[in-house]
Amino acid sequence: MPRRERIAITGLGMVSALGLGREESFRRLCAGERGIGPVSLFDTAGLRSQIAAEVRGLDVAALAPRGEAADWSRSDALAFVAAREALTHAGHVEGGPLGLALGGTTGGMYETERALAQLPKGQIRPQDARRLLDFPLAVSVERVARALGSVVCSATVCSACSSGAVAIALAASWLLSGRVPRVVAGGVDGLCQLTFTGFNALGAVDPRPCRPFDVSRAGLTLGEGAACLVLELESVARERGAPIIAFLSGWAVASEAHHVTHPEPSGERAAAVVRAALAAAGLEPGAIDYVNAHGTGTVQNDAMEARALTRVFGPELERVWLSSSKAQIGHTLGAAGAIEAAITALSVQRGEIPPTAGLEQPEAPELRHVRAPNQRATLRAALSSSFGFGGACAVLAFEAAEAHARPLSWQGRASVVISGAASFGSLGLASGAGCVGSLPAADSSAPMPTLDPLSLLDPERSRRFGRASALVVATAERALRDAGCDAAATGLVVGSAFGDVDRSVRFLQKLFEQGPKFASPAEFPQLIASTSSGNASLYLGLRGPCLSVSEFGTSGQSAVSVALSLLDLGLGEHVLAGAAEAHDPIVDGVLGADRGEGGGFVLLEPEATAGARGHVPLARIVLHRAVRGDAAPAFVELGAPTVPGEACLIRGRLPSAVAGALARSGWGSVTAYDLPARAGYHEAQGAFGLSFAAAQIAAGRAAQALLVTADVDTVYITRLEPVHGARGAA
Amino acid sequence: MDQTELKAKIKRALLEELDLRGKTEADIDDAAPLFGAGLGLDSLDALQLAMAIEERFGVTIPEGEASRTIFASVNAIAEHIAQAKAE
Repeated sequence: MPRRERIAITGLGMVSALGLGREESFRRLCAGERGIGPVSLFDTAGLRSQIAAEVRGLDVAALAPRGEAADWSRSDALAFVAAREALTHAGHVEGGPLGLALGGTTGGMYETERALAQLPKGQIRPQDARRLLDFPLAVSVERVARALGSVVCSATVCSACSSGAVAIALAASWLLSGRVPRVVAGGVDGLCQLTFTGFNALGAVDPRPCRPFDVSRAGLTLGEGAACLVLELESVARERGAPIIAFLSGWAVASEAHHVTHPEPSGERAAAVVRAALAAAGLEPGAIDYVNAHGTGTVQNDAMEARALTRVFGPELERVWLSSSKAQIGHTLGAAGAIEAAITALSVQRGEIPPTAGLEQPEAPELRHVRAPNQRATLRAALSSSFGFGGACAVLAFEAAEAHARPLSWQGRASVVISGAASFGSLGLASGAGCVGSLPAADSSAPMPTLDPLSLLDPERSRRFGRASALVVATAERALRDAGCDAAATGLVVGSAFGDVDRSVRFLQKLFEQGPKFASPAEFPQLIASTSSGNASLYLGLRGPCLSVSEFGTSGQSAVSVALSLLDLGLGEHVLAGAAEAHDPIVDGVLGADRGEGGGFVLLEPEATAGARGHVPLARIVLHRAVRGDAAPAFVELGAPTVPGEACLIRGRLPSAVAGALARSGWGSVTAYDLPARAGYHEAQGAFGLSFAAAQIAAGRAAQALLVTADVDTVYITRLEPVHGARGAA
Repeated sequence: MDQTELKAKIKRALLEELDLRGKTEADIDDAAPLFGAGLGLDSLDALQLAMAIEERFGVTIPEGEASRTIFASVNAIAEHIAQAKAE
């Protein structure tokens, strides 16, 4: 049903180097205080910079639930403090259903490093390696969800330094689509040696505290922290009488597809993202009174950002307050987009703007830099910008609670089709309806794939890609080609369970053994959670939103969920979604020798978009559900297959309760394909299964296809049917 | 180490450290520019190369403009290494 709603911010939580809470952090930010000092968490000898904005006094053991202290990372604790504070602020006392979306880049890397440092040098034995897999990115969401209770939908997203902002936009889509009435959304990143050494190796850090927008700026200062926003539909907040802090009135997420570490220097692509956020919010540049800039303090970012803002605001810019918070709380990477969103919302609510600390001689004096502490100004609307590695841009727009913010129109989810598909398995790389032949026969002992994914890519443009990245890019490329759509209007969501563990471990072992002097600058950008999506954006020229999501064995299905949400928000005309996992000596060693590799990608777009460009899709998604907890009601809602003789079921490894509910749904008697037995066990097998399912429909082998996968607390159910006049019907 | 051997080692470092897949030592001209039009390398490659030369040859590469002259070609890198070793 069409709905016109506004998104209200009703709670904020923030942990930073300036305080273990929102009020202390914001008061000290406005006062111009700086939380930067010598690093105490690890040894920084021999590094260019030895300072960071560390969170002091974080007692992880005291924050973790009883019995879990040893398993909680600093990032888990930071996220939990911010989420709990935001919910308390929102007066969330009744314990109703919650959504939880967190952005981040390193998860429990600090704890992984401590575990690695305990191990003997050289080859790592499988029994020792287990601890290295205890802190994947998705773990923070699981720990925080369990500690908060009543979380019914969740996601972990990584788009480098815009992760936190992307998580907030994603959560807004859950509210608009009616998936959940209240969400906690934000970002978290704890300091670790991987990022600290990596940014040092890149020469991107300033030995002195950073000075954004100053002529003498010489790099960034790393920080850590977390922030969460509680978002609700305005009607829901008003009904329970909750005070509204500000409105989240628009957002834009897109990619520059320019360079792995450098921003596009003209600022043209960043400007397009700022304009898109204004358009989404229905705001003119003249309505914006403040911009909380990305402002990292690197020579390139700040110059690009000033150019981008000049392009958007023109002469208006001399009226718009501008500041960067990074000279006070450091660059908190995956948390930055969320922390700065919280700062911007508080500034709008209170009419107080934090200054850019350390700014003595502005490079662009025509900008209205906030220089004085405790600057007061009435702010009608404001922007918070994030521009990350690999050109991952996100901009959020906020309006004052008393503003006449334009309601957002929600027409209901458009009919979404699978317009292209590709699968990578033991039989090679297949695409379109050809994916029907991708599944080895049930009685064959499936050989492990021998195809090197790197051999499918242009060597010059795929330099330094790891095997996982190469699998992602090669498979996504085939799905994109199968769909025949414009790369510049296409986004990408990559599900990633573990990433390149072995490569990260080798980087760290070299650091521990030889010191930071020989940390590889070119290797570091290949070691973050969003490496694959960033590489694919660059290689394929994808300028829509490109990001990674992490969710253990259902990462590919989580990617489809997030891609559908991006389409709901109108972010990207077409979105590729899927996952690919590669052999990794450490992951294989821990999970068992039978772990396979492979994956699949589908191109999703509204049916009307496919129709307008005259493309015949493979299949239509008639149902997609992600269920945390009891999945039985979802199987009741699913209903039985209409013509069981023409239906097929593709299933992953399912817990007995899920398998039982599935059997009772009427899908127990149709032709079934078991992914672990036939696709080889790996975390991306569900993504492989979705391409296979779409091909079954397109090839006319099934009139209905159902894909069911599950892991930890989440079950995914996807049902496909033919599109009228589809390829298979021809 | 004579010049020919040194240049061969430099080329191997280039191929391995910059992941120039599909290229061989024979594809790299001793005198041709490495950056810009040459092998299509950028500033990230320059950082990697500086680190690798220090690790493999024990010779430091200064930051900034000076490194541009040193990284002009395989010949220039060899000259810098030989000079630094002689000092």
